[in-house]
Amino acid sequence: MLKKTILLLGVFSLGVALSGFAGQKYSHQEYFEHYEGTKTCLQCHEDEAKSFFHSQHYQWKAAAPNVVDSHGKELGKINMVNDFCTNPVPNWIEKTLNDKGKVLELGCSKCHAGRGMLPSSEMSQQQLENIDCLICHAHGYRRDLYKNEAGEFEWKPILWKNPEGMDSVAKRITKPTKVMCLRCHAGSGGGPNFKRGDIEYYLSEADYDFDIHMDVDGNDMNCIDCHAGADHKIPGPGADIAGNEMPEKRVLCDNEECHGNAPHEQALLNTHARRVFCTACHIPEFAKEDATNMKRDWSAGHYSEAKGKYTYTGTFEKNVTPAYHWWNGKDVNMQVAGEAVKTDAEGRIMVAVPVGSRQDPESRIFAFKKYEAVMPVLKDKRWILPIQTGDFYKTGDMDASVREATEEFYGIKDAQFDWMPTIHYMGLFHEVTPAYSALRCLDCHGPDTRLDWKALGYDKDPLGAILMAASH
Amino acid sequence: MHRNRWFIALLIFGILGIGFADTAMAKRKKKKGPDGRALYKEYCKPCHMADSDNGEYTPMSYIQDQWTRFFDEQYEETHKDVLDPNHDNKPVTEAISDDQLQSIRDFAINAAADSEHPMTCG
Repeated sequence: MLKKTILLLGVFSLGVALSGFAGQKYSHQEYFEHYEGTKTCLQCHEDEAKSFFHSQHYQWKAAAPNVVDSHGKELGKINMVNDFCTNPVPNWIEKTLNDKGKVLELGCSKCHAGRGMLPSSEMSQQQLENIDCLICHAHGYRRDLYKNEAGEFEWKPILWKNPEGMDSVAKRITKPTKVMCLRCHAGSGGGPNFKRGDIEYYLSEADYDFDIHMDVDGNDMNCIDCHAGADHKIPGPGADIAGNEMPEKRVLCDNEECHGNAPHEQALLNTHARRVFCTACHIPEFAKEDATNMKRDWSAGHYSEAKGKYTYTGTFEKNVTPAYHWWNGKDVNMQVAGEAVKTDAEGRIMVAVPVGSRQDPESRIFAFKKYEAVMPVLKDKRWILPIQTGDFYKTGDMDASVREATEEFYGIKDAQFDWMPTIHYMGLFHEVTPAYSALRCLDCHGPDTRLDWKALGYDKDPLGAILMAASH
Repeated sequence: MHRNRWFIALLIFGILGIGFADTAMAKRKKKKGPDGRALYKEYCKPCHMADSDNGEYTPMSYIQDQWTRFFDEQYEETHKDVLDPNHDNKPVTEAISDDQLQSIRDFAINAAADSEHPMTCG
């Protein structure tokens, strides 16, 4: 034991404990001898496993009270079709390699907190043992895809052949840190920061200018400091996540326990805050470290020599200026799978469009990542369709990839489809900069305004109109 | 006239006392990685690739404290009598300089099985 302690201290003093928990003694170091998979955790945590089984993080769906016309359905990525990687069911677990042996895709289950089984609606011992507690609770945990005795793929710790290392990692248990959350939330959409734009892996080492909340030398907040839930339910799903398992608990900057509704010394700014949400000024740009995917045209597939695979035509940008849109802070128009597509005035499928307007006193102007894509749509029923992305990356045969995924997801054979553009507003709530980096008045009220005043319901810049009147 | 209007606006905001500092984001220092990966490929991998009689070892074979223990306590003993055919058959411990060993060590520890890396599906 003494030797082990000395070794650990040695490691930490060398500065290699990247998670920033140098010197921390973990609560579970004395609780068990050898980690033997989830059943080790279940010996003490069966109740927690049961609550997690019902959570959105395991089921990948939840009640969707804020989705317009959700009709009481539970919705989430498991039963919807999004315009990034489309749907996880046909893409759940696979090891797609190119001709040179390079891994092209491992499946969406890579970021499911399970060992490889699809989540079931019926709880069972098998499902509870499928839960991978360590992915959210163990420092330094990593896993990969291996075939089990039945020849099926499953997620296993990369240390499964190294019992000493495995036991060490399995005992480093805490509540989820930002590093643990970012393992999945920073890599969604196919690569670092591809999807969200404001949730980057760099947040785990952010400085004050990058994010005042997560600044590692300052507030050093973790995700769960704001998204603090109970029974594995997490509040604050943002503006484009269908499921909301804690709708009663809204995560907003101006909650009383955070900044309140009059956080500025200047009354003018507090007046603005009634109609302009904090993020509009305090997130002047996003994707500050890794470029984020802004457009993805699945209809324009091509072979990429650099990536060694067929891929969509995409646009990636860094230091992106947000789009601004009214939102009532709750409701969102979303495209539900198995229903005819709903389009906006420009004929784009509304994958996620916030509900709000200048006329609605509850609405405020929020900052968004405005993402656009082109997606397959079933010809007769006008349903948005998924794509078997692994097959497409390998073969480039989009027709077959759409038909295969459609059959698996909808049960429809030989689907005939065409293509439609989509629009997807994603709320920006991270990478909050200090006051000295926030927008200045003229960033919006000036000749070089970043706002589209007409789109926001104004004839023109309202301040410009006042000044015009004053000058006459 | 148009310019005057915006000058007035600037003046108003100034009077209101809304001061703003430079908006330029402080440039974050990029970490420059050591060349440990290349050195690992040159010196270690030829004898420790998959199915090797000497055992397959990648940075992910060990956790960080195991790598630390290896380099501190075991490397010298286990490699001093091993000749490196790719480097004039010198003993491995002579073929690899102290600086190179430090880089290989940093690479192994930074990419160890318990190091944190973003997970992406593609």
